[in-house]
Amino acid sequence: MSYEYILMNIALWFGLYLIVALSLNVEYGYAGIPNFGRALAVLVGAFAVGGIVNRVLIMLLNVNGDIVKASGEVKSLANIMIAHNPAYGITLLIISIIIAAIIGAIIGALFILPSAKLSEDYLAITLLAISEVAFMVCNYETKLVGGYYGVSVPDILAFVPGEKRMLAFVIIIFATAFLVFLVLNKMLATPFGRLLKAMRENEELVKAYGKDVMRTRIKVVALGSAIAAIAGVLFSFYSVNVIARSFNRVEWTFYPFLMVLLGGIGNNIGVTLGVLSFVVVKVLLITYKYEIKSLLHLPFESTWLEYILFGIIMILILLYKPEGLIKEKPIFTKPITEKIGKLDKEKNQKE
Amino acid sequence: MAVIEGALVYSNLLILLSIGLTITYITTGVPNFAQGSFAIFGSYAALTLLLLHNIHPYFAIPIALVLGGIIGVLIYVIVLKPLIARGAEIVTLMIATLATDLIFLGCIGAYSEYLRSITKRITTKFIFTQYDFSIGNFSAILFVSTLVIVVLLLFLYTLLYKTKFGIALRASMENPALAEIMGVNVEYTRIFSWFLSGALSGVAGCLLPFRQEIVPATGAIIIVSIFAASIVGGLSSIYGALIGGYIIGTSESLVTYALSKLLGPGVLVYGKVISLFVLIIALIVAPRGIMGLKFVRRLTR
Repeated sequence: MSYEYILMNIALWFGLYLIVALSLNVEYGYAGIPNFGRALAVLVGAFAVGGIVNRVLIMLLNVNGDIVKASGEVKSLANIMIAHNPAYGITLLIISIIIAAIIGAIIGALFILPSAKLSEDYLAITLLAISEVAFMVCNYETKLVGGYYGVSVPDILAFVPGEKRMLAFVIIIFATAFLVFLVLNKMLATPFGRLLKAMRENEELVKAYGKDVMRTRIKVVALGSAIAAIAGVLFSFYSVNVIARSFNRVEWTFYPFLMVLLGGIGNNIGVTLGVLSFVVVKVLLITYKYEIKSLLHLPFESTWLEYILFGIIMILILLYKPEGLIKEKPIFTKPITEKIGKLDKEKNQKE
Repeated sequence: MAVIEGALVYSNLLILLSIGLTITYITTGVPNFAQGSFAIFGSYAALTLLLLHNIHPYFAIPIALVLGGIIGVLIYVIVLKPLIARGAEIVTLMIATLATDLIFLGCIGAYSEYLRSITKRITTKFIFTQYDFSIGNFSAILFVSTLVIVVLLLFLYTLLYKTKFGIALRASMENPALAEIMGVNVEYTRIFSWFLSGALSGVAGCLLPFRQEIVPATGAIIIVSIFAASIVGGLSSIYGALIGGYIIGTSESLVTYALSKLLGPGVLVYGKVISLFVLIIALIVAPRGIMGLKFVRRLTR
C-alpha cells in the first residue's frame, strides 16, 4: 500500500465521518437528544441516490427490468453521458444532495415525534428500533434498493481519469464537510445554539422561558438528519453502488457516537479532532488487516478485533475522560463579557 | 400447526430475554442493549459443547445458565457499577451497554471463526433443528421451552414472595433509597439481578438455534423484538415482560404468516416491522406499557 493511498483514504473517511459526527453533535452534543438511530439518516441519503434518483434515471433513459438489473444498465449509459459532458455529473450530484437533504429532514422530523411522550431511555430504544428495522427491510427487500444484491449508481466523475478519481472525491467530500462545519459553527453561535444547550441542561427551564421544546427538537433532528443524509449521498457516489448492508448500526451510529464523545460533546473543534483520531486508527487497521492477522497469529478476521478495540475505547472514554479530548467551554456572549468587565472594573476601583 | 408451534417457542424464548431485560432495568435503571448478544453468547456456548464434547444442547442448559450469569455480573461490576458510582447519566449508561454489545459482537465473531478453525465445521452460521426430536406430534423444543418458562415463573414467585432475600429484592426495586435505610444491601440485589438476567439470556440463547439460524450478529437483530416485548408489557414490570413476550412473539410470527398467505411470501421479511408497529402503537396508547394501564394496575393490586 502506498502512503498516498492511505492518506487519501484517511482524508476521505475523515470528511465523511466529520459530516455525520457534526450532525450527531448538533443533536446529542448540543440539544441532548440521544439519537441512537443516526444510521437511518445516512441510509436515507443512500436511498435517495440508489432508490429515487436511480428510478428517475431509469424512467428518463427508458430502461426495462427490475431495479438491480436496470440500475446496472443506467450506470453504463449515464457514465458515457457524463464522460462526454461533465455538467451532467455535477448536476446529478447536486440534485441528489438536495433530494436527500429534503427527505432526510422530513424523515428526521417524523422520526423524533415519539419524543413528545417518551423519556430519554424509551426514546433511545424507539429510535434504535426504527433505524434497525428500516435497515433490515432495506437489506432483505430486493425491490427497494436491491437488498443484499445492491444497486449500481452512475459514476458522477466519469469524466475524470481513473487515477485522479479518488483525489477528486476527496476534494468534493472535504469541501462539503468544510461547508457543513462552517454553517453549523455559525448557526450554533447564535441564540439558537444557546437555546439547544439550555434544552440539554434543563428542559423545564427552557419551557418556563416560553420556548417550545418539541418544536426545537423537531428542527434540530430535521437539520441533523438532512446533514447526515448528505454523507450517505457522497458515500454512495464514491462507492458507485448502494448496498444496504454498508449502513449498519456499528459504522453509522456507534462510531459517530464514539467520535463525538472522544472529541468532546457540544464542541465542533473537539469533535473534528475526535473524528481525525478515530479515522486514522480505523484506516490503519483496515489497511494493515492482513499484516495484523499474520503478525498476531489471529485465527479470525481482524474486523472482530476492531469491534472489540473500539468498544473498549468507548468504555474507557466514558469512565476516564467523559468530557472528551477538548472540553466544552462556557459561552461568553457580548452582554455577559461587558458585565464581567464592569464588575472587574468596580472591583479594581474599590481596591 | 407448525406455525403456531414456532410462534409459541419463539414467544417463550422472547419472554426469557425480556424478563432479563426488565429485571436489570428495574434494579439498575438502564436498558441493556447487549441483551441480544448475551443470548448469542449462550448459543455459542451450546454449540461449543455440542461440537467439542458432544453434549446435546438440552443438557447444555445448566452450563449456559451459569456462564450467562457470570457474564451478566461481570458487565455490571466492570462497566456499569463504576459509571453509576460516578453519577453518570442514563444516556451514558446506555452508550456503555451499546459499547458492551459491540465488544460481545467482536468476541463472538472472533470465537466463531476460531471454533471453525479447530473443528473444521461451519460455525459462523448454524441451527440445531436437526438435533431436535419429536414428542407426539410436537417437537421437543416446544415442551422444553415451556418447561423452562414454568420453572422460571415458579422460581421467581418463590424467590420474590416466599424468601427474605426476595422481599429485600422487591423493596430495593420499589424504592432503593428506602430499602437501603432499612438495611438492605442494594448492591447485592443489583448483582443478583444481573446474574439472573445473564442466566436467562444464556438459556434463551441455548435454545434459540432450535427456532432460527444463528450468526454472530443475530443479537443485534433480535434486540428489537426484546425491547418491543419489554416496552409493550411495561419496562418496569416482570409480569409485563411475560405478556409482552407473548404479544410480540405471536404477532411477529403469526401476523406475518397470515399476511404472507394474503399478500404472498414477500411479506415475510417484514416480520420485525410488525413488532415495531406494535411497539409504536403501544407507546402511543400506553407509554408505560400494558402493566402501566390504570385498569390493569387496579386488577393486579
